[in-house]
Amino acid sequence: MVSGISLSSLSTANLAGLINAVPVELNGLAPIARAILRLNFDNIYHSPWYVGIIGLILISLGVCTFKRVIPARLPPLRPVTVDKIPLHDTFEVEASAPSVRRRLAELLSARGWRIRERLFGGVEWSFADRHDWARRGVLVAHSGFVIIAAGTTLYWARGFAGEFAVVTGQMQQVERTHALIRLDDFAYKISPIMTKSGMVYQPVDYVSKVTVTGNDGVAKRYTVRVNHPINVDGTLYYQASYGFGMRFRVTHYGQVDPSLSARTLLEGDSFDLPGTQRSVLYERFAPTIDRQSGMPTADPRVNNPAVVLGASQAGNTLGEALVPLGQAIDLGGGWRVVPKQYVLYSGFQYRNDPGVPLVGIGAFVLLAGLIISFYFLPARLYLRVDEITPGRARVGAAATTVKGYDVFADEFGRVAAALRGELGTPAAIE
Amino acid sequence: MSLPADELLIAIALIAYTLGALALLVYFFSRTPWLVKVGAPLAIAGCAAQFIQLVVRYETTHVWPLLNLYGSLSLFTAMSVAIFIGFAFRYRLWFAGGFVLALAAIFLAYAVTWYEGTMPPVPSLQSYWAKIHVPIVVSSYAAFLVAFVFSCIYLIKYYGERSVAGVEPRAAVARWLAALPSLPQLDVIVYRAVAIGLPLISVGIITGAMWAKEAWGAYWQWDPKETAALFSWIIYLAYMHLHTRHAWRGLRTSWVSVIGFLSIIFCYLGVNIWISGLHSYKI
Repeated sequence: MVSGISLSSLSTANLAGLINAVPVELNGLAPIARAILRLNFDNIYHSPWYVGIIGLILISLGVCTFKRVIPARLPPLRPVTVDKIPLHDTFEVEASAPSVRRRLAELLSARGWRIRERLFGGVEWSFADRHDWARRGVLVAHSGFVIIAAGTTLYWARGFAGEFAVVTGQMQQVERTHALIRLDDFAYKISPIMTKSGMVYQPVDYVSKVTVTGNDGVAKRYTVRVNHPINVDGTLYYQASYGFGMRFRVTHYGQVDPSLSARTLLEGDSFDLPGTQRSVLYERFAPTIDRQSGMPTADPRVNNPAVVLGASQAGNTLGEALVPLGQAIDLGGGWRVVPKQYVLYSGFQYRNDPGVPLVGIGAFVLLAGLIISFYFLPARLYLRVDEITPGRARVGAAATTVKGYDVFADEFGRVAAALRGELGTPAAIE
Repeated sequence: MSLPADELLIAIALIAYTLGALALLVYFFSRTPWLVKVGAPLAIAGCAAQFIQLVVRYETTHVWPLLNLYGSLSLFTAMSVAIFIGFAFRYRLWFAGGFVLALAAIFLAYAVTWYEGTMPPVPSLQSYWAKIHVPIVVSSYAAFLVAFVFSCIYLIKYYGERSVAGVEPRAAVARWLAALPSLPQLDVIVYRAVAIGLPLISVGIITGAMWAKEAWGAYWQWDPKETAALFSWIIYLAYMHLHTRHAWRGLRTSWVSVIGFLSIIFCYLGVNIWISGLHSYKI
């Protein structure tokens, strides 16, 4: 097997000796590839199982909302057994029951509680609610999820995305939008920085200067940077990558092949040698070759560059070689290739997403719901005032919240103490 | 040899946290009141030194200081201590300060090992979102650290009380456990810390998605960091949902909080350090 031959063994450019080597067997991977395609792993977000999972999550959310959240968060007003609720207090007051009820309502209203009175089986109950509106916080949060799902579904149904690369000085028509994009110039900036661990080549900037002709037919100039996409007719174009296109001088027994020599290959492109089953793959560009070792360095700036070429015979990989610019490589059968000139190309992504506003609204609603749920504590006081004897009443008070009892225990203690204190003086009531 | 101001401030913070942790850990076991008067000012001093250090670093380098592991861990420790200080003053919780400060000291010392000097940010990090998304996410991690510490104390108290019940020779341990807040009180503290962290991490994920949309063209790409953050978010969301169930509140939710923080550490450090992806910003 010759696959995986190290660059060091091939630093002298000559692939001819590899042409008849044993090919690499890739057929064993075919079932995996078929499985990936059948399961739609090549396009996950449009696959039935992915959409199915999202659907199940939404169904679960809906069932949970209506079966659990609404009954638990929005309970009806109903009588309770006061002393069976963990937060409860009972005390007696020297006053008539109606006056105690009136005074309780006044006291709690003054503290921001909303008072409602109901009659159950001849017994008058008072219900005091605080932050009652916040009981809907979870519903708001769940609604946010649904809106986000609607936004992403809109993208799924109507949006599109893709990517393309343009070589400096050339023009490309974007498949989905039909916009024409010409790359006027591409530049990158890399700063070599000596850190405590050694030299680091930090990329600082990637800039594409483009001329774009959109639906209006007018060519406009733009600058595209990372974090600064451009918007053309509602589609956003992003700076995604860059690379080095390469022009080769391809000769057969010394005669230049004009067709192959005129092409600009991007990294990953290949060409076939006419009359043979051999292909040459332009694997990648090596910007800087160490002059002493002849090996690529970590420096991404162009200084003594080379290219990595791969060769294959009838689809079977034969090997690869590091070929400095200007040097020839013998491919056998009279074919020779010289990496002649590099040219920068810029890679772009584009995306048209009509669901963005909905997703934004959904995110805001979701956050609002979370904040309402976490930072407001809806609580309900159940108040029952019974006349024990004329002029003497017993007050029973209990409290529930949507987050259990412990979180409200201290506050209930303070409320109960305040009620006791305020109602304790008969003069204050009558 | 003189240290630059920012390195000096980090050293001060590290020393303050270490000494403060020692004082408050001794207080945790001995309940000697004057130790709080030593530990609390040290915590405040260390925290203040860290925030000043971040400002000094930004002013001197003009590079947003949170774009690498050194800077973000520095904010993480500072915010952890700041949130704890807030809790400690509000709910009188200095007894737990030793654990928070010890963790802060460990994380800060680890942060220093990633210090490589000043680097200009890579293009994808050159965005105003860096000043919104990163502090929010790191602050959520800090809140979860505080929740983690109180969850551990809850579990210590819960299992400790079960093991010493009715065993006379361990009466001193029982008295010490009794001096801690009650289990429901500890549970409420954990809940309140998570109630700070969960909205923050939610905002952090949303702002991260918005930034990703601007930088890479997609809200979500199932990058390891995104996936890990979503996993952590789901754990804490589960915590909140389970906390509404009486049977789950307390012991089980404390375990969920512990697991949640472990997932946060994986999301924060594991993904940054061990897994390559769009968020592999170490130095």
